[in-house]
Amino acid sequence: MNCTRYERWMWDALEGRLGESQAQALQAHLRQCPRCQRQWESAQATYHALHALPRLRAPEQLMHQVRARIQHAPARPPLFGGWKRVALAPALGLLIVLGYWAFTVRTPDATQTIVQEPSESWVEMHEQLEVADWSPTPTANYFITTGYSR
Amino acid sequence: MVSDTVSYDGRLVIVDALSAEARLIERAQAHDEAAFEQIMNLYADRLYNYILRMVGSPTDAEDLLQEVFLRAYQGLPNFDGRASLSTWLYRIATNLCIDHQRKRARRVQTVSYSAWEDEEGEGGAWEFPDLQTPNPMEAALNHELQQVVEHAVASLSPKLKTVLLLYDVEELSYEEIARVLNIPIGTVKSRLNHARGQVQKHVEAYLRGDSK
Ligand SMILES: [Zn+2]
Repeated sequence: MNCTRYERWMWDALEGRLGESQAQALQAHLRQCPRCQRQWESAQATYHALHALPRLRAPEQLMHQVRARIQHAPARPPLFGGWKRVALAPALGLLIVLGYWAFTVRTPDATQTIVQEPSESWVEMHEQLEVADWSPTPTANYFITTGYSR
Repeated sequence: MVSDTVSYDGRLVIVDALSAEARLIERAQAHDEAAFEQIMNLYADRLYNYILRMVGSPTDAEDLLQEVFLRAYQGLPNFDGRASLSTWLYRIATNLCIDHQRKRARRVQTVSYSAWEDEEGEGGAWEFPDLQTPNPMEAALNHELQQVVEHAVASLSPKLKTVLLLYDVEELSYEEIARVLNIPIGTVKSRLNHARGQVQKHVEAYLRGDSK
């Protein structure tokens, strides 16, 4: 009995994506396989619970706050902001390097703190998104519009 | 993304909705604040729920949602309409959430490394608001089961969580998720299977009566 195949079909069945013959085969299998029957029950419960998760309303005052902030942050003209950011990046990088250098020189035997990357997956995912953009090659604007910061 | 073919009736409605959105975007791009306000009203709840489940804290979710709209407002002049507005906004939200969690994780890590300060936090400390069920239908559904599912979702890795939330909760299509996350559709599907499987395990344990 190929239970794995039926397990794969369960979510398709829940979404109504299963063909009729497959649906019948699944039903037949469920009638005779207690293990898959249990799986089916938990899949159903999971599916329905996920789709019935409470929807909260965004707090009303939040809109007022955004409105206020927008009035103080006029929209950027299409290109200027991007270029400014690009020009700023190397300068900032240099500053960081200098700062780091100054720090290490001044405190030569500072205790080595193990700054192991905390959550690899968050970092990895961010890197993946970093290279992404709507245009074929990432534009400077990506850094503004998508909230990427280092 | 305004579709160009208006061939038969069924499609007309969708095209209308899309061009209404396109008009709204155009107005917002021309600094029409009322138009941007409409955009916010259209997406605030959806984005808020998504962000809240991504980061787990209502306070952080509020801050992040503000930031999403601010970035959107600033980035709108450069929005070329190749993506749908919703996909674009989810993408901004996803980026901000990931950046936020990354920083948060680093902060927690730094604290727990200092020898004398033993902190409780390490990724698992999700504070969930006491979720109010908005209608009787939902109230009828097992509240406990929902809590189990909320916690199972919260404990997923970011990769799995984003896909599951976007598909099963926010109801984006595979294609839209692929664009939001910049990954192939096949990857979306496999991550979704994986994520569902993990949540299902929690539910199964709950249904069997295992504690936790
Ligand atoms: Zn079976």
